[in-house]
Amino acid sequence: MSALRYREAIRAGMSEEMERDDRVFVIGEEVGHYQGAYKVTEGMLEKFGAKRVVDTPITESGFTGIAIGAAMVGLRPIVEYMTWNFSAVAFDQILNNAAKVRQMSGGQLNVPLVLRAPNGSARQVGSQHSHSMEHFYTHIPGLKCVAPATPADAKGLIKTAIRDDDPVLYFESETLYSIKGEVPDDPEITVPFGVARVAREGAGVTIIAWSRMVHVALEAAEKLAAEGIEAEVIDLRSLRPLDEEAIIKSVKKTHRAVVAYEGFPYGGVGAEIVDRIQRLAFDDLDAPVLRVTTRDVPMPYNAKLEQLVIPQAAGIIDAVKQVSYRS
Amino acid sequence: MAKLLEMPKLSPTMEEGQIASWSKKEGDAVAVDDLLAEVETDKATMEFRSFDKGTLLKILAPAGTVVKLGQPVAIIGEKGEDISALAGSAGGGDAPKTEAKGDAKPVKTGKAKDDDAPDEAARNTPKSEKKPDAEAEAAENDEGEDHDDDGEDDANEEPEVDAKPKAAKPSEVAPQPADAASSRGSDGRLKASPYVRKIAREQGLSLEGLAGTGPHGRIIARDLEGAKAPPRRASTPSVAGKSAPSSGTSMASSVEPEKRPLSMMRKAIARRLTESKQTVPHFYLSIDVDADPLHALREQVNADLAAMGEKAPVVKLSFNDIIVKAVAIALVQVPTCNAQFTPDAILIHRRVDISVAVAVDDGLVTPVVRDADKKSVAAIATEIRELAGRAKAKKLKPEEMSNGTFSISNLGMYGIDDFAAVINPPEGAILAIGQVRREPVVRGDAIVPGRRLGMTLSCDHRVVDGAVGATFLKALRGLLEHPSPILLL
Repeated sequence: MSALRYREAIRAGMSEEMERDDRVFVIGEEVGHYQGAYKVTEGMLEKFGAKRVVDTPITESGFTGIAIGAAMVGLRPIVEYMTWNFSAVAFDQILNNAAKVRQMSGGQLNVPLVLRAPNGSARQVGSQHSHSMEHFYTHIPGLKCVAPATPADAKGLIKTAIRDDDPVLYFESETLYSIKGEVPDDPEITVPFGVARVAREGAGVTIIAWSRMVHVALEAAEKLAAEGIEAEVIDLRSLRPLDEEAIIKSVKKTHRAVVAYEGFPYGGVGAEIVDRIQRLAFDDLDAPVLRVTTRDVPMPYNAKLEQLVIPQAAGIIDAVKQVSYRS
Repeated sequence: MAKLLEMPKLSPTMEEGQIASWSKKEGDAVAVDDLLAEVETDKATMEFRSFDKGTLLKILAPAGTVVKLGQPVAIIGEKGEDISALAGSAGGGDAPKTEAKGDAKPVKTGKAKDDDAPDEAARNTPKSEKKPDAEAEAAENDEGEDHDDDGEDDANEEPEVDAKPKAAKPSEVAPQPADAASSRGSDGRLKASPYVRKIAREQGLSLEGLAGTGPHGRIIARDLEGAKAPPRRASTPSVAGKSAPSSGTSMASSVEPEKRPLSMMRKAIARRLTESKQTVPHFYLSIDVDADPLHALREQVNADLAAMGEKAPVVKLSFNDIIVKAVAIALVQVPTCNAQFTPDAILIHRRVDISVAVAVDDGLVTPVVRDADKKSVAAIATEIRELAGRAKAKKLKPEEMSNGTFSISNLGMYGIDDFAAVINPPEGAILAIGQVRREPVVRGDAIVPGRRLGMTLSCDHRVVDGAVGATFLKALRGLLEHPSPILLL
């Protein structure tokens, strides 16, 4: 085990896979000479050369298309966007090519592609750069979506993503890049898709979260414990495929659930989870399932307003008390 | 548009309120800020004023009813407006009363209940993010503002909680029945969580007659705790009815105790004092002071006050008035005894706000004498009389009974020599005062008639250690045995 930062863990995962398999390459804006917009690819150009760490012009649609084409003919590209917000420019490539080629070619072609970037709110980057894009992409059959919360999962999931034969969308967080954690050194240790992690055990209430919000949920759980409510925090890690079983198992134990995530309240991954809970654990619910989300407005630039719009521990605590019938 | 008026949050810790009396009758016109009802909360009797203008169309919770926060108590609207849908949906609340009076209006209950559909749209829009008690909070904070039924004024809400059952507003509202006879709404549907229904199925329990404590009277898991033991023997009707009259009487003790429902205040006392004794590590320090100087001082001051007649600042001083001031001075001298525990730090107060326990009908309250160290004994005496008078009339405001830094409880007037009191959280200590006793005392080498006064300090050991408490009591003893500084400081 080594103590790595989240960004270093992603880099370690990518580098190991590039050493293992020479079909793997990185492509995107500033990934090479600039060493990565968030320094995730730092040192990789030097190590792997310009053929495998490819700087591109500001053309998300263009280089996403190139990567999809490369994947169709046997390479295994990793596309880095500066943030997931910019993937909107390449949305047609992702929706209509990456997600559809296998079906449209009758299984003759597949797209072993990884798309990765920071996602969700950062600090004061404005409404156009604060989207939680996983809610758009999890909607689409043909795409797999993962969102690690810890350095260990960041490494384990990027490796699984690179080895997967279908397009995988990998959601990072700007606010997590610097957190440190123990990460396995063994290059054969990976984290499977569709398996959630119990980040904290408890019998009082289930809090379901992913990415940055896992840490907020743990902070809320800590405070709730001081008030006698033992929360179980489920870190989904993988949003599609979804570990339905882990969620339902926990809810059957606690009889109540709160889903806490970044993203607008209308629809989205959280609503999907609530649907599964009400359908699969109906007889075990003692209270309606609540969601704690980003508020339903474009993200304000003002720092204080931004904090009001982003979901916080206080909101999770409030929701937990409601589902626990504690005032 | 007629709307439901809901029980507002009238004190910071209020969870339910009892309608003490209605100031308006059905049919009365109501203006904004008109007094609608007086509500007994856990702290005091509070005024419930209207945020709306219109006519009071129906009272759903008659005087005496206990209503949870956010549950409907009345309907307000235009005169002559059809309120059958609203009344029907809120029906659970007045069902028992209405039946008793026999004036069950032909309410279109079936229809009213199936009205989830129109609300469904609202539920799916972001507007439906409002939580029921946010309304109460908003009502409290935006006093005087027109209260918008639309739920947009969520400024006081935690930002991100959504999908709250505001959706469940008028359509599903079934207030918790006053006598908690059952959790049935007007349509006869029993409201219970799916988990409760599963347990009931598995264990063969009847939910009939159970009082739900969840929103809108929903039966939730914790409501089953008491219900689990007895299965429904009684509800196998004919058998029990015919063959069991004698065994019925032999089984139950014939003399039932008198059952007094818990008042709001009794619930608050039970909750707070249990919490104190269970979570605060108490220890006790007792002293017995020579009360002759105090007695002499009081006799002298009261004689002088009597001579001043009308010009006297106060009719008379009690031992308690003098002790309150002495305690205030001692707390300034030993500030570490004027302290409070928090998980992060010990707070040493820079103010001396003394909570004085006052017995009232069915309980006690603790009005606070603020800045007692800066007030004269006469001012303190006047203030305590005034606070105690309003306490007995239940007219104290919650803020007048909170945020003390130290408590005094005096049972001397009941002939108690000495006792130990329970700390009033979050304060760090409480001083229990007994009576001034006449008894033989040793002076020099002689035994002479004298006066003694016993008192016991209960300390929260997390903040006040033995030596600190003893230092405080030493300072207090010094003041009481040489009392002139009490009048001077």
